[in-house]
Amino acid sequence: MNGTEARLARIRGRALAKTHNARTIAALASNPGCARRAIMDAAGVDKPRIAAHVGFPAPFGQSRFALARGNAFEAQVKAEGAAQLLTLLRERLNLPIPQAHYDDLAEVGGNPSLDLRHARTKALLARAVTSPGEAGTMFDHPLLRLAVGGRHAFLEPDLIAFQLRGRFHIVEVKSFAVIDGQADGDKVAAAAIQSAVYVLALRDALAEQHVPPEAVSHETILVCPKDFSNQPVATTLDVRKQLTVLRRQLARIARIDDLLDLLPDGLTFDLDPGGDGVPRRSPADLAAAIRQVEAAYVPECLSTCEMCYFCRDEARGCTAALGRAAREELGGVEHVATVLRLAGGAETPGVPGGTVAPGTARTPVTPDLAEAAELLRRAARLRAEASRAGAPRREAG
Amino acid sequence: MSTLTSLARAVAVATGTAQRTCTVRHVHVSARPLVFVPLALAGEAVAPLAAIVGDQPQAPALLVVAEPRDRDQRFAFAADLAAVVLRYIDGYLAEQEPTPGREPATRYADAPQLLVPNQAGITFTRLLGRSTRFRRTEGPYAVPPSVPLLGRWLTFFTERAESPSSSLMLAATDVLAAHWATGQSPVEDRNLGALLGWIDPPPGMSGAQAAAAAEDPVRCPPAGPATDPTFDNEVLDQRMLAVRAARLSGDGRAFQRAAAALTAALATQLEPTWALMWRAVALLRALPEGAHVAARWDGDKDAFTWHARHVADGGPPQPRRDGAVAAARRLASLERLHEMVAAQRAFDDPLVMAEHRLAGEAFAGRVVAAEPDRVVGAGARRVLRPRITVETGDVPPAEPGGTFTSPARPGQQARVVAVTAAGGRTRVVLELRGGMGRSLTPPPGSMPALGEFVSYAAFGDGWQPPPAFPAPEDTPWTHGGPPARYAPDDDDAREDWS
Amino acid sequence: MTESVESLERRIGALRAAVREAVLAGDRERASALRSDLRQAERDWDDALAAAEAEAGTARPGDGVRAEAARSDDDAAAGAPGPGRPDAARAGASLLPLREQVHEALSLLTVPAAPRLIATVHEAFFGGAFSAARLTSLKRDEERSFRSAPFARPYYVCAALTADLLAPARGLLAISTWPLERRVIGSLSPRVDFLTGAIRVAEAIERLPAPPPAARRLLWRFAASIPGAAGTAARMQPHEVTEAALAELAVHQAADRAARQAAARRARDQLGDAEQLFGTRIGLASSARRERREGREGR
Repeated sequence: MNGTEARLARIRGRALAKTHNARTIAALASNPGCARRAIMDAAGVDKPRIAAHVGFPAPFGQSRFALARGNAFEAQVKAEGAAQLLTLLRERLNLPIPQAHYDDLAEVGGNPSLDLRHARTKALLARAVTSPGEAGTMFDHPLLRLAVGGRHAFLEPDLIAFQLRGRFHIVEVKSFAVIDGQADGDKVAAAAIQSAVYVLALRDALAEQHVPPEAVSHETILVCPKDFSNQPVATTLDVRKQLTVLRRQLARIARIDDLLDLLPDGLTFDLDPGGDGVPRRSPADLAAAIRQVEAAYVPECLSTCEMCYFCRDEARGCTAALGRAAREELGGVEHVATVLRLAGGAETPGVPGGTVAPGTARTPVTPDLAEAAELLRRAARLRAEASRAGAPRREAG
Repeated sequence: MSTLTSLARAVAVATGTAQRTCTVRHVHVSARPLVFVPLALAGEAVAPLAAIVGDQPQAPALLVVAEPRDRDQRFAFAADLAAVVLRYIDGYLAEQEPTPGREPATRYADAPQLLVPNQAGITFTRLLGRSTRFRRTEGPYAVPPSVPLLGRWLTFFTERAESPSSSLMLAATDVLAAHWATGQSPVEDRNLGALLGWIDPPPGMSGAQAAAAAEDPVRCPPAGPATDPTFDNEVLDQRMLAVRAARLSGDGRAFQRAAAALTAALATQLEPTWALMWRAVALLRALPEGAHVAARWDGDKDAFTWHARHVADGGPPQPRRDGAVAAARRLASLERLHEMVAAQRAFDDPLVMAEHRLAGEAFAGRVVAAEPDRVVGAGARRVLRPRITVETGDVPPAEPGGTFTSPARPGQQARVVAVTAAGGRTRVVLELRGGMGRSLTPPPGSMPALGEFVSYAAFGDGWQPPPAFPAPEDTPWTHGGPPARYAPDDDDAREDWS
Repeated sequence: MTESVESLERRIGALRAAVREAVLAGDRERASALRSDLRQAERDWDDALAAAEAEAGTARPGDGVRAEAARSDDDAAAGAPGPGRPDAARAGASLLPLREQVHEALSLLTVPAAPRLIATVHEAFFGGAFSAARLTSLKRDEERSFRSAPFARPYYVCAALTADLLAPARGLLAISTWPLERRVIGSLSPRVDFLTGAIRVAEAIERLPAPPPAARRLLWRFAASIPGAAGTAARMQPHEVTEAALAELAVHQAADRAARQAAARRARDQLGDAEQLFGTRIGLASSARRERREGREGR
C-alpha cells in the first residue's frame, strides 16, 4: 500500500488530498472504464483547479440557497434527539417505544479525527448487535469506510437506524420534495445509489466484527419534505439492484496499481504554485500530462466530473461524444470522419465532397466495418432521397 | 433516435451547423403564443423567484418576488401571473366555430398556446398549478380568486403537454431537437442557448463555437427555472438581503432602490432567454406545416373548449392523483396517441418515413408493372382488385400477406402478394383495395401509375375523427376525470406553501 | 470620484464574471478579494443611484416587485398565516443581556437544549427574539469567565456532558446550578429531555390566561412527535400533551436515570470543577484509559 500511496502523492503534487464521498463513488461507478477519473479521484487531486488551469473551468457550483435549505431541513429533522426522525422511523420500522436512543458520532470527545470517529462508529454499531442490553437506536453522523480501487475512502451517511431485531437501516435526508407521493425520478435514483454505497460500507465495517451482511438491510430510508411544506415524510427504497450494479462496477475499477503501472514515473498534476498561490506550471504542459492518462468521455460526464469540458474537447470528432446511443446507431464506428467517409459512398447532402478531418488516419474497411459501412451507405442514400422529396414542399410552405 | 438522426448529427459535426431531421414542422405554432420563462429559488419545491411572460416579443411583463420564502408574496406573485395568463386566455374565448355533425355544435375557433424553454419549465409549471389550484378564496387562508383559477389552467396546460398529439403547451428545447440534429449529444441539447447556437449560429461562428459561448452562464444565463449558482451566491443573495434590510429599517427610498436593484439583477437572467424563445418561435414558423398538424390542433381546440366550459360551469379542479382506473385509461390512451402521431409524422414527412424504411417497416420504389383493370369474383360480386409491382432497394417485407398503406393514398390498402429478388433489388407485388370508387375501372390518379415513385408503410396514418363529447362518467383524463367525486376541503386550503 | 451609474453597472458585471472564474478555478483568495471589490462597487452604485434620484426628485417603483408585509423568517418557514410583523426583529428586544435571556428560557425548560430551541422558547414566552447564531460564542465566553474567577457569578451557561466520554455534548447548553445528573446526556437522554421539555412548555401555557400563538406553535412542534399527544394543531390541549409525554417518559425514565447517575458519579470522581461544567476534551490515549477503567467498573 505504501508504494501506491507514494505514487499517488507524486501525481497529486503538493496540494492537499481531496476526499471521496458517496456521490463521487457513485459517479465513478457509473463510468468505471475511465482511468483518468479513477487516478485523479484516487490521488485526491483538486479537479476544479486543474480544469480551470488548462483552460476548461468546470460548469459546477452549488447555490447557497440550496445548501442552506438542505442544512436547515436536516437540522430540523435531527433536532431534539431526532424527534421528527424518530416519529417517522416508528411508523416505517415499527420501532417499539423503548427504542428511542440517540448517539451522536460526529466527534469523539471534541476530537474530530476521522480514524477515531471511524473506530468509535464500528465499536458502537457492533455493540448494538452483540449486546442486546446496550442496543442503540439512532446513530447520527456515523463514519464508515469503503475500499475503492484498493484504497479506502471515508463516508458519512446521514444516519443509521437500528432495530431491536438486529437490523440496520441507512437513513438519508434530502431536501427535494415528495409531492403527492411522487418525487423527481433522477434525484430519487441518485439518492438510491448513494444509499447503496453506504450499505456496502456498513456491511464492510460490520464484517470486521464478524457480523453477517444481512444485518444491514437492503431497504434504506429516504426522508424528504412533504408536498410544499417543511414537514418530513419517509419513503423506503429497495436498493438490491443498485447494490448488484455497484459491486460489479467497483470490482471493475481496476486496482489503482495496475493503472499506475501504465504511467510514466515522473507524471504529476502538480500546479507548482508560487508564494502568492498562483500556479506556475504551464497549462500546455499540464494538459500534456493529463493526456497521458486515458479518459472515457461520455456526455453523462457533464453532470458528474469537473474535467468534463477538457475531456469533451479531446473527444471532439468521436461518436462517443454524441451519446452512447448515437455510437451504436452508427454501427459502432468510433470517429465521425470515418462515419462520413463510409457513408459518403453515396451522396450525402451537406458533406463537402466526403472530406476527412485533417490528421485523422484513414481507417481501412475491415470486415466488421463492412457491415457498418453498408448500414451507413444506405442511411445516407435514404437521407439524400428523402431530402430531395421534401424540397418542393419547402418552397411551397 | 435512429441511425438517420445520428448520421445527421455526424454531418452537423463536420459542417458546423445543425442538420434538419424533418422536412416539415410537426407541431402547431400559434400566431399569438404566450411565452413564459420562470425562475425558481434553488433548494425549494416550487418557490417562484421571478418570471418573464407575454405574447408579444416587444412587450414582456417582468414579475419578481423579493422574499421567495414568504407565503403572502408567493400568492401575490401568483395573482400577478394570473392577471397576465387569464387575460391572454380570455382573448381566445371570443370566437367560436361550428363543428358539423358533432356534439357540441360549436367550439372555440382557436386555442391558446403556452411555450416554456424546457422540460424543467413544464415541471415547474405543473407544480405551480398544483400548489395554487386548491386554495380557497374565503376564510382564514384566503387568496385572490384569480389564483386557484390560474392553478387549474396551468394544470390543464401541463396535462395536455403529456399528450404526444397536443401542441397546447410546448418546451422549446424538445420541439427544436425534434426537428434538427446538432453536432452535440441530446444531453447538451437540453440547453436552449446551445441548441439555438447549433441551429442558427451568429455570422462568423460555427455551431460548436456558438454552443460553447452559450454554455457560459455569465454570457448566456441558464434558461431556468434553475438559476446559475454563481449568480445566486454573488448577486442574488446580497440583493435580497438589501431588500430585507431596507424593509426592516422602514426607509421607503432605500427600499425602492433595493427593490429596483433586485429587479434589474433578475432581468439580466431572464431577458436573454426571452430573446432566445422568440428566435425559436421564428425558426419554427419558417418551417412548412405537416399535413396532419391541423387535425391534431383541432383536438387541442376541443380540449380547450371543454376545459373552458367546465371551469365556467363551476366544475371542480383536477384531483391530486388519478384513481387507478383513470391512470390505466390515461396510459392506454397515451400509447395509442403515440403510435398515431408516429404514423402521421411518417406520412407527412419523407425524412421521417426514411427512418422507417431503414428499419424495414416501410419501403419505396418505382412502379414497374401495373394491372389497373384486374377484377376478382363472379357475377354481381365482381370487385376491382388492381395489382402493381414495385421495385425497391429498401429492405422488403419478409413474406407475403402483410397490409401496407401509402402516404399518397391513405385510404387505400395494399396487400403483399409476392416478393421476389431481382438483381440486387426486390420486386414486391401488391394488391390494392379501396379509394377507387365503386366502378370496375379506377378513376385516373386513384392508384399508382406505371413509373410513379411510391412508398408503402406497414402502418396506417391512424387518423381518427375527434371523439364525441364524453358523458360525465367518461370524462377523459385530460379534463380531470369524472367530476363531482372530489371537492377541495379545508386541508387543501390550509396546505402549507412554505 | 463619483462614477456614473452606467459605468458602475458595467464594472459590477465585469467583477461578477471575474469572481465566477476565480470560484471555478478554486482560487479562494482571489475570489474573496474580488468579492469585496464587488461589494464596494454595489455600495457605490447604490449611492450613485440615490444621488441621481435626489436630483431628479423621483423614486422608481419596483417594477412589479412584491415585497410588502414583512414577516419574520420563522413565521414564513412555518407557513403560518396572520398579519405582518414589520418590526419582528426589533420589537420586544429584551433589555436583559443575552446570558440572562438564555437562563430564563432554560429555566422554563429545565433540561439542556439547543440554541434554536432556546431562542424559540424565549420568543414564545418572554417576547425577546435573538438569533441562535449569537449563542455559539456564549459557551466559550462563559468558560473563560469561569476559569478566570471560578464561581464568581451566581450561575453560568455551561455545557451538557456526554455520558460515555464526559465530553461537551455538541450543540447543547445547560445551567451550572443544575445537579450533574441533569447535565449528563446518555443515549436515552435526548428523548427523555424532549418529553420533559414538552411537559414544561405545556405547563407554562396553562399558567398563562392568554397564551400567545407562538407558544402554542412551539407546543405543537413537540406534540407532533409524541404518540397520542394531539391529533391536529387546532385541537391540541396542553394537558393531553402532558399526559402523553408522561406515558412515554415512564418507559424510558428508569434506564435513563441509571445511566445518568453512573455518569455523574464518574464525573465527580474524575473531573475538576471547570471540566464538570464545560466537559473534557480528549485524545485517543485518554479515551483508551477511560474505557479500561469503565471496563473494570462495569457500566
